[in-house]
Amino acid sequence: MDLAPLSAAARSAGAEPRATILGVTPTRLPYLLAALLAGAPALAAQATPGRGTLVIVVASEPTSPVPTLWRGDQGNREVSDLLFLHLATPDPSYRLTDEKAWQPALARSWRRRDSLTLAFELDPRARWEDGVAVTARDVAFAADRAGEPRLGGALATLLRRVASVTAESERVVVFRFRERYSEQFYDAVFHAPPLPAHLLAALPPDSVGTSPFVQRPVGNGPYRLGQRVAGQQVTLVANPRFFLGRVGIGRLIFLLAPSPEARVNLLLSGEADAMDNIYALPNPARLEAAPEFQRYPLPGLVLNFASLNLRDPADTARPHPVLADVAVRRALTLAVNRESMSRTAYGPFTHAPSGPVSALVGRGLDAPPPPPYDTAAARRTLAAAGWRDHDGDGVLDRDGRALTFRVMVPSVSASRIRMAAEMQEAWRRLGIRAEVEQVERAVYSARFAAGQFDVAMHGVNQDPTPSGLTQSWSCTGTGGSNVIHYCNPRVDSLLARGQLSTRDAGRYYKEAVRLIAADQPAIFLAAPVAGIVVHRRFTRVQLRAESTWADAWRWSLRPELALERDGR
Amino acid sequence: MSRWLLRRLLGAAVTLLLAITLVFFLMRLTPGDPLARLSEDRPLPPEAIAALRARYGLDQPLPRQYAAFLGGALRGDLGGSIEHGGRPVRTLLGERLPATLLLGGSALLLNFTLGVWLGVWQAARRGGAADHAATVLTLVAYATPSFWLGIVLAWGLGTELRWFPVGFMHAVWLPPDADLLTRFRDLLWHLVLPVVTLSAGTIGATVRFQRAAMIEALRLDAVRTARSKGLPERAVRWRHAWRNALGPMLALFGLWLPLLVAGSVFVEQIFSWPGLGSLVAEAIGTRDYPVLMGATLLVSTTIVGGNLLADVLQRWLDPRLRAA
Repeated sequence: MDLAPLSAAARSAGAEPRATILGVTPTRLPYLLAALLAGAPALAAQATPGRGTLVIVVASEPTSPVPTLWRGDQGNREVSDLLFLHLATPDPSYRLTDEKAWQPALARSWRRRDSLTLAFELDPRARWEDGVAVTARDVAFAADRAGEPRLGGALATLLRRVASVTAESERVVVFRFRERYSEQFYDAVFHAPPLPAHLLAALPPDSVGTSPFVQRPVGNGPYRLGQRVAGQQVTLVANPRFFLGRVGIGRLIFLLAPSPEARVNLLLSGEADAMDNIYALPNPARLEAAPEFQRYPLPGLVLNFASLNLRDPADTARPHPVLADVAVRRALTLAVNRESMSRTAYGPFTHAPSGPVSALVGRGLDAPPPPPYDTAAARRTLAAAGWRDHDGDGVLDRDGRALTFRVMVPSVSASRIRMAAEMQEAWRRLGIRAEVEQVERAVYSARFAAGQFDVAMHGVNQDPTPSGLTQSWSCTGTGGSNVIHYCNPRVDSLLARGQLSTRDAGRYYKEAVRLIAADQPAIFLAAPVAGIVVHRRFTRVQLRAESTWADAWRWSLRPELALERDGR
Repeated sequence: MSRWLLRRLLGAAVTLLLAITLVFFLMRLTPGDPLARLSEDRPLPPEAIAALRARYGLDQPLPRQYAAFLGGALRGDLGGSIEHGGRPVRTLLGERLPATLLLGGSALLLNFTLGVWLGVWQAARRGGAADHAATVLTLVAYATPSFWLGIVLAWGLGTELRWFPVGFMHAVWLPPDADLLTRFRDLLWHLVLPVVTLSAGTIGATVRFQRAAMIEALRLDAVRTARSKGLPERAVRWRHAWRNALGPMLALFGLWLPLLVAGSVFVEQIFSWPGLGSLVAEAIGTRDYPVLMGATLLVSTTIVGGNLLADVLQRWLDPRLRAA
């Protein structure tokens, strides 16, 4: 228990110096003893943290690594998951709708009371960094804050089917749901890890983001925040109160290097140990050739696709003059070698997806194989639909309308620019004229959201469960994420049944993915499997798909390869 | 002098206001919505978007937003960053500014010490082999793009030879309680590559300006008189000629003072220097208007202030200007 703040408060209040025992005033001794006794079980479970410093180089600065404050940015989530424990974590099978496929974390057990009620019992050893016990009230408090629209709103949408979260006792928290559906457990444990109510309850929800807590979060995870240098690094050090096991690496440093070139230099010069997603770099071969690094394939949550607008961008009430024709969309897909393109752009572990599913979600769905690369079939499809070069200008046309469109691509994404250029060339050979238009990231986002494009080279970070398909590929998603106005009532029905079914969800989702792929509202280009590199100084490396470094506390350092920064 | 200074101050204030006004309105007219990115992966509900618009004043008409910005800036309040969850822009800039000032200041210091000395040295050897060799070298340095030089230095001297660190201001594992000497040595070590990269091109220009000004000064009657009095050449060169050659250098100094805050964006990116560069680059990409306006105010003030300072120094040092 840190008594320094108490002493400081007394001094600032002008209190007279009093006699102390080992720096503690006699009146406070009972409180101190009580606090020590309360913390005893947790401290007894401790083991000395391991040695070593793992330096991870990242592209964006984790500025708000606090649950409920992330805004879809992976950097904040990854640091947050090292500071704040979830109630449970997925096991390696990633069967997220199966309650048995989760491992205890902050909750040591759970029980389903009925189809609408789940009760979690918290681990009594769990303590916040400041020594206060983690209680059911903290879980309910985080769920309450997550539902607060002023905090960003996305979490409120995700948790819309959670009716209430109540603290039944100190250690038992009960989630009640509005309806029966397959992802109740996932919703309860995944989105909003508990927050320390004793520190945050007094703060208005919209002022937490600018409060000192964000700069100095108090968590309950394997690490606590050690130091933060704006624009340079976030240092985490082992949390001595962590109760789930021995923390194998004593210190984690997240280094910020927005330039890809700088990230590679930091690894090759020995200043950093690990990096996410090397295949997003312009020249990953430099790292692939470095023998001191081990590469780990990690199925990701990203999906890259060429979104085909089914509505006219000039007037979204009308169908698109070219792309509303399903024959054209199918031909466009058949004409491009997606398997080769995806590997060139995202590395050797990546494959073209069968439909709108990331590598992680696709793995769980046992999705059907993607449509083939067949330029002859593409030609036949277009000819059968009446697209021919009637005027001999080298571009196919029908009823006086040339088969031309524009492909919008964000200028910050080298891989998407490369894929757009490859598709442009493949289509040119068929007599389709596509004009690639690179636009600035902010312009891209605004135009995409407004549906102001023909074809957009898009990338999304999906949820790890297939229920997220609803927002982009269902009739109900129109006007939200479904900017292209794709609507197939059969798909909607399958997605709805998948969400409600607790037994056959996978079967319904698989069929929905197959139908969407057949309708071709997009060309599904790549479901990247990230290439993570980690220096061979580390052993027992475990990586998590939804939060790459969350298990770094389980790693170890090879003592013979320790460096000065490891406290050799 | 005081009336002249008042006029110049007034002119500087008007220039600053015009620059800020222009940037403010041009930025808002540029396509792109600062909140669009937040909805990319998962759309925010309309009420959440509306709350965010209201929080950052984006729901107000442009003139009102402009007035709010100016009013806030006069009170020292630059608003909250959209990308950084509403953190005050003043805090964000304040966190990054020292690193940028250190890098820019070191580059300027190197530029003006080495550049001036080399220019004077060359002028004294005008037409000789050393002068020609130095001219070629400085022209090559002047013509070398700093982003390319930075990449080459980071690769050659950093990654391959490992003589210098390739990023950041301090070794990241340096303990926060390391003694001052250790921290200072570590800082100097980390400054080498970015400062050399940033100043290589500008030193070339300084040398060229100083050499030309010095050649003119060495022809002055006053210098000839000093020599005829039997003063040592070193004294003639530095005490009599160089002082007369200072005017153009002060003008150059005024032009390059903005280097302190605005000249190092690329170099900061290459060497992961924790300065304003990455913050501003991110703000441009995400249309984080409050951060962009705060940075604009900072850079504009430095440019206008730098020119004003150079004018004042020139006038103070040169009696002919005061008489005019």
